Amino acid sequence: MTALITLKGVNKYYGDYHALRDIDLTINAGEFFSLLGPSGCGKTTLLRTIAGFEGVSDGVVTIGSKDMANVPANLRPTNMVFQSYAIFPHLSVGENVAFGLRKRSDLTRDAKAALVDEALAMVGLDGYGKRAAHALSGGQRQRVALARALILKPKVLLLDEPLSALDKKMREQMQVELIKLQRHVGITFILVTHDQEEALVMSDRIAVMFEGRIGQLDDPETLYRRPKSRKVAEFIGKMNFLPAEVRAVAETIDLDVAGLGQVSVSFEQAPEGMDTGPAVAGIRPETLAVLFEGETTDRMLVDGVVDEVVYYGDMTYYDVRIAGVDKPLNIAMKNLIGRPVLDVGARTQVVWDARSLVVLR
Amino acid sequence: MRLRVYAVAYLVFLYAPIALLPIFAFNDATIIAFPLSGFTTDWFSALATNTALHTAVKNSLFIAVMTAILSTLLGMCAARAGAMARFPMKAGIMGFIMLPLVLPEIIVAVSLLVVVVQIMGWGLSNWTIIAAHVLICTPFCIAILNGAFQNLDPSMEEAAMDLGESRFSAFRLVTLPLVAPGIVSSMLIAFTISLDEFIIAFFLSGASPTMPVYIWSMLRFPASLPVVMALGTILVALSIVLLTIAEILRRRGMARAGVKDKGGFL
Repeated sequence: MTALITLKGVNKYYGDYHALRDIDLTINAGEFFSLLGPSGCGKTTLLRTIAGFEGVSDGVVTIGSKDMANVPANLRPTNMVFQSYAIFPHLSVGENVAFGLRKRSDLTRDAKAALVDEALAMVGLDGYGKRAAHALSGGQRQRVALARALILKPKVLLLDEPLSALDKKMREQMQVELIKLQRHVGITFILVTHDQEEALVMSDRIAVMFEGRIGQLDDPETLYRRPKSRKVAEFIGKMNFLPAEVRAVAETIDLDVAGLGQVSVSFEQAPEGMDTGPAVAGIRPETLAVLFEGETTDRMLVDGVVDEVVYYGDMTYYDVRIAGVDKPLNIAMKNLIGRPVLDVGARTQVVWDARSLVVLR
Repeated sequence: MRLRVYAVAYLVFLYAPIALLPIFAFNDATIIAFPLSGFTTDWFSALATNTALHTAVKNSLFIAVMTAILSTLLGMCAARAGAMARFPMKAGIMGFIMLPLVLPEIIVAVSLLVVVVQIMGWGLSNWTIIAAHVLICTPFCIAILNGAFQNLDPSMEEAAMDLGESRFSAFRLVTLPLVAPGIVSSMLIAFTISLDEFIIAFFLSGASPTMPVYIWSMLRFPASLPVVMALGTILVALSIVLLTIAEILRRRGMARAGVKDKGGFL
């Protein structure tokens, strides 16, 4: 894996507002990389500094080991798909896609037309070249924006919340298509999104940002299973938090967890430098289970009372109260054959496993 | 039914005086009164031979065209900055540059006369009138162009730059075509305001007057009234042609940009 984009000590100020704080980041060639965070976390600003639409107040951005400080957006090897798509409404679909080829005097008219056809075919819009751009649907505009950016064969394709304007079905379809497209063209994709599911589905690696800083950078699985801070754990997926007290850090981390008792976990399950003292134990709803009548388990059990039931068809979400914890535990159960849906107030047992715990500050 | 009567009465009130123009322009009598006495085109021939009038019309056209171009250019700069740029005190500054819209023209005319003649010591010419007309027309242009620039997606220019165009060519290739209908409307408004503006032109015109000032001077001689009517007829015809062209251009622009026509200027 070779580094394609590096950011070193990047800071960005708007007046007094500190939009990017000490960003150090390396993005590899051919990677599908996501910047994930709530609105206002600086993810779009970071994308725009890579594109060249924003300068940096401090620090260095390099693309392909070239310093980008004095390279304007139009000369960078990046192309962007804008949130609004920014399709030129006064041009046809073909003219939109061919826009970036205007400066390519080395290509004949026929060669350009062939490239346009190829780009349109790549995004599944064969034969749309003559259509008026303003007559397209949301999904089609998105495809035109992709074709227009990819026709220049950039080193990096930047995507600024490209799916946020689409409805749920279309969004899921485009997610899969974008992954396929990225594998097909082999170009580095950098996606900005506030949708954690979208980031998990599509990315090779994800940088989670809060308040101008990168909170955690990991592959989707590590990010989901081993969040390094409470903020990341809260932002990605659902998680139950239980008050805990770390007793000893030796070969394992030993802690007392409210409601669950004494637990030992491995070092992987806690951020580096975990020490004795108060902490929280996080556990995902799908790693817990309620024990139905007739089922047995060799895992740990704790008694509880069903507080709330939310039926989703494929899943049922239970809130179960256990002794010693104020907030009920949220538990996600698959509705397998023969499994009943428990009633509110039912006594049950919660199945849990220390291996699925994370210990956070 | 009552509404219909009202609408008809309103239209008569608006257009009857203008309809009288061509009627008396072709009437064979120096006195403007019914009954009509006969058909003639003499007044139009009189127009053709009146060289003083020709000079006045030329002055007015030159002033109006220059005013339209300059105030639309200034208006574009202001509207673009207003729509796309962020700077301190923006609301205050935008309000301040719209102020000439409500300033009494006579005040503008007198103060400009003082500045140009007394303080700067320049002579009066068509250019002094152009400067003053740009001053009063620019707020109108900004108001019209604001609409065009506000509707523009700020990502458009960035997208063009992202695809390899410089800042200027991105503006020329993307922004300009999309705001073109607004530019046409703006130039048309500025042209119309400047062409028939009297007070400022009266104060600031040098040796050779503009058309409205010349018409005003002709009114002292009752015999020349039908000639003024003939001139008025030509101007009305010209305005209709001009507005029609502008509206056709605007609609074509809207259709090209795929914007839903919200009923523009006409």
